Amino acid sequence: MARGRFARWFDNRGWTLLLIGAPYVWLVILFLLPFLIVVAMSVATNTPTAPPFSFGGDHPWINLEPFTRVLTDGLYLRAFLTSILNAFVAMVLCLLIGYPMALGLTRVSKSWRTILLMLVILPFWTSFLLRVYAWMGLMGKNSWFNGLLTDFWNVLVPLDWAIRSVPMMHTNFAVVLVMVYTYLPFMILPLYASLERLDPTLDEAAMDLGSRPYQVFLDVTLPQSIPGIIAGGMLVFIPAAGELVIPSLVGNASQPMIGKIIQDEFGQARDWPMASAVAVALLVLMVVPTMIYSRYQAKAEGAK
Amino acid sequence: MKRSPVFLVSILCFGFAFLYIPILSMIVYSFNASRLATVWGGFSTKWYVSLLSNEAVINALVLSLQIAVVSATIATILGTMAGIALARFTKFRGRTLFSGLVTAPLIMPEVITGISMLIFFILMADWIGWPGQRGFTTITLAHITFCMVFVTTVVSARMVQTDRAIEEAAMDLGSRPWQVMFDITLPVISPAIVSGWLLAFTISLDDVVISSFVTGPGSTTLPLLVWSKVKLGVTPDINALATLMIVTVGIGVAAAGIILHRSEKRRLAEERLAFRNND
Amino acid sequence: MAAQDDAPFLRIEGVSKSFGTFEAVKNVSLTVGKGEIFSLLGGSGCGKTTLLRMLAGFETPTKGRIFLDGRDMAAVPPWERPVHMMFQSYAIFPHMTVEANVGYGLKHEVGLSKADRAARVAAMLDLVQLSPFAKRKPHQISGGQRQRVALARALARQPKLLLLDEPLAALDKKLREHTQFELMSIQERTGVTFIVVTHDQEEAMTLSDRIAVMEKGEVRQVGTPTEVYESPASRFVAGFIGSVNSFDATVIGHEVPHLRLDVPALGSEILTRDMPGLVAGQHVSLAVRPEKLRITKDRPDGPNCMAGHVKDLACFGKDSLYRIALPGALVQAHAVNARRGDEGARIADWDDAVWVSFDPSSAIVLVD
Repeated sequence: MARGRFARWFDNRGWTLLLIGAPYVWLVILFLLPFLIVVAMSVATNTPTAPPFSFGGDHPWINLEPFTRVLTDGLYLRAFLTSILNAFVAMVLCLLIGYPMALGLTRVSKSWRTILLMLVILPFWTSFLLRVYAWMGLMGKNSWFNGLLTDFWNVLVPLDWAIRSVPMMHTNFAVVLVMVYTYLPFMILPLYASLERLDPTLDEAAMDLGSRPYQVFLDVTLPQSIPGIIAGGMLVFIPAAGELVIPSLVGNASQPMIGKIIQDEFGQARDWPMASAVAVALLVLMVVPTMIYSRYQAKAEGAK
Repeated sequence: MKRSPVFLVSILCFGFAFLYIPILSMIVYSFNASRLATVWGGFSTKWYVSLLSNEAVINALVLSLQIAVVSATIATILGTMAGIALARFTKFRGRTLFSGLVTAPLIMPEVITGISMLIFFILMADWIGWPGQRGFTTITLAHITFCMVFVTTVVSARMVQTDRAIEEAAMDLGSRPWQVMFDITLPVISPAIVSGWLLAFTISLDDVVISSFVTGPGSTTLPLLVWSKVKLGVTPDINALATLMIVTVGIGVAAAGIILHRSEKRRLAEERLAFRNND
Repeated sequence: MAAQDDAPFLRIEGVSKSFGTFEAVKNVSLTVGKGEIFSLLGGSGCGKTTLLRMLAGFETPTKGRIFLDGRDMAAVPPWERPVHMMFQSYAIFPHMTVEANVGYGLKHEVGLSKADRAARVAAMLDLVQLSPFAKRKPHQISGGQRQRVALARALARQPKLLLLDEPLAALDKKLREHTQFELMSIQERTGVTFIVVTHDQEEAMTLSDRIAVMEKGEVRQVGTPTEVYESPASRFVAGFIGSVNSFDATVIGHEVPHLRLDVPALGSEILTRDMPGLVAGQHVSLAVRPEKLRITKDRPDGPNCMAGHVKDLACFGKDSLYRIALPGALVQAHAVNARRGDEGARIADWDDAVWVSFDPSSAIVLVD
């Protein structure tokens, strides 16, 4: 059977080229290129033109002013601090709630486990925005939940300290609470995955060698679940630090997080270089630890 | 040594209460007759009626669904190609960059992805006159880009688990590489492709931040509409909308879960039976 | 074999264990003396592992009691038992070094100084010849070395009882033989009582002072390797330990010092060693081990001779297995290849007519 040269080329090389090339080109044009533009933009100069930036000409090719402002202006530093603090507290709380939940999931019977895991995953499939919104309903001054907390507080403290409602909305507390709520499954799932893989005979071996259950946990379970803790922690911390929606809905407007700053610099201030510089700074803050971690993980894998 | 872990069970109860009480409360209040969204004023379904006659909501929903179907489909095609390429071709020039490109969007803060795409679209319009107007096209392009990497993750995880020998067997029996993919690889990883599509669809349908950057006048997706309404506070019709969406998704996921569970159970039973008969 | 004290070191009294409706261990009673190597031998699902886990404290008996050195172990949690286990999977802690694994149990020993602890770990590593690997992580050592880590770890706390769950199953054949003898020498040096769970009858035969053969949750026979091999108590034990030719037989009568049996499958009457308590007409089984069968070209003198021909033969190097067709049965016979030589040196070849015979004292009569 005579086969064309194209067909032969396609079978031998073209097919592979297509398989790799199509997604590759797409990502280069629509992800890498825009990203590189932002990086370049962060050293451009803001001008009142359209588009509002300029390279060269009357302006320096590399303008480091946006970065100097990021590092010196209190507005940006405070925003970074708020973001990191909120994200960190949310991550720790997720870990404290998620770890025992994940451990509990490995200990319940098989059929229960299927159901409970589905209940953990279910929120993933429902709207993120609506999950935030659900808490707005609970935290409002007149809500039953706020009322319950208020009554609880009023019973516990002396009369002088009595309050009419708990001030929850538009606080960093609200931001952290909602972050914990929306990101908890991100913590539970990798933890569960790493705990479920553990060999139960290791627990028995430790017990057999004289460890009480809490010692077994500290000596055997916890150290082996560290990869899960790190993975879960990053899955919570990274999106939480760059969060835009949650603080815009339940946060304190006078203490903006970094996402809001980027949005405002770009939209209201029309200062693209500044917005880009803040974005690059956020990225460095987020991505560097991630890369170090993945390098470390690759090394650990390689050692095995 | 099975001891009843009382502490673990109680924290599980607490955790699930924490996860589900806000949603249940929202569902209950969607049937609230009162205009004040947080004060109970009797049972009513009027918010559902007003929601379904709200043209803006219906239009936004239709737009969101269109974008989600188109971007999930294209993202699944591209993402599957990337997943197979990464799992099967261990050595090609630029592989490191490629594998970086399929993971970076996963961990990139949404704000940065959104802003970089917006700047890209504005500059492209400035330089080559495209895209003339931001809206359906730009949102879809952005959604395809960050949805495809989720599909890639799901697909390549599945590829790693499948036995390479079955593909080699097909090639040995005379199939060309592309035939192997359509005859063997794709059918074998089809569950991963389906769940990749569903994941991409959900992510696209749910996206607020990136859409908010790359959208244009007149293109309001449902999440964008909800966001703008919710910024003003809690309203009962949003409760109703939320309830409808959550119940729809909940039923869908539960049904899928039960079907999967059943078929898995049946497979196990058949396997056992086969073993017994062959003994 | 170690001498047994009057009061047994380990006493298992009527122990049963049920999981739901499934009875994994049924009314098992055993005694084990101090310093013994005692094997629980049986196929998968015979309850041997469950019994071992009850000794370790991971399972609680549904019924019955376990005494160790006179102390009732029922209420003692696993971490307080002076009983340590070598797990089948070895259960080495993957995040700790070899040294830390071996020393892990010692950290629970109050009043043991750091230096003493280090010395004990060093002595243990020395015992199992792993000193050069002390700082390695488990994934950096071989399977045989892991096995020795598990052994050293379990021995480090100087247990009264060491439980070994399929200790050699994960090793390849060559390493297994070597390790068997190493285990025995370590047991001799430490004097710790070993209880070994195994499904491998050869392993049980070489390692143990005594063997308990288990089936379906019950102990079928307890005895020294020679006892269970030469005088199995039942058809099951005879078949499980070594291979055996067994035939249905009917008692004809006592002919002191012999017993005369009618064995239809062999086409003749057979004489065996007399067994009291049998009456004429009773149905029994006759069992003969393949190596007790003699193969000759000419009819030998004496009783228990059958004519047949060679159906199959397989040479294993040190010995040969013959399958010989008799009028009513196919029997297996082992013959040692004592003479070195080519094909011609064999006793018999395919399709040769041969005589099969055995000594009356070599046959076993089984009532069960």
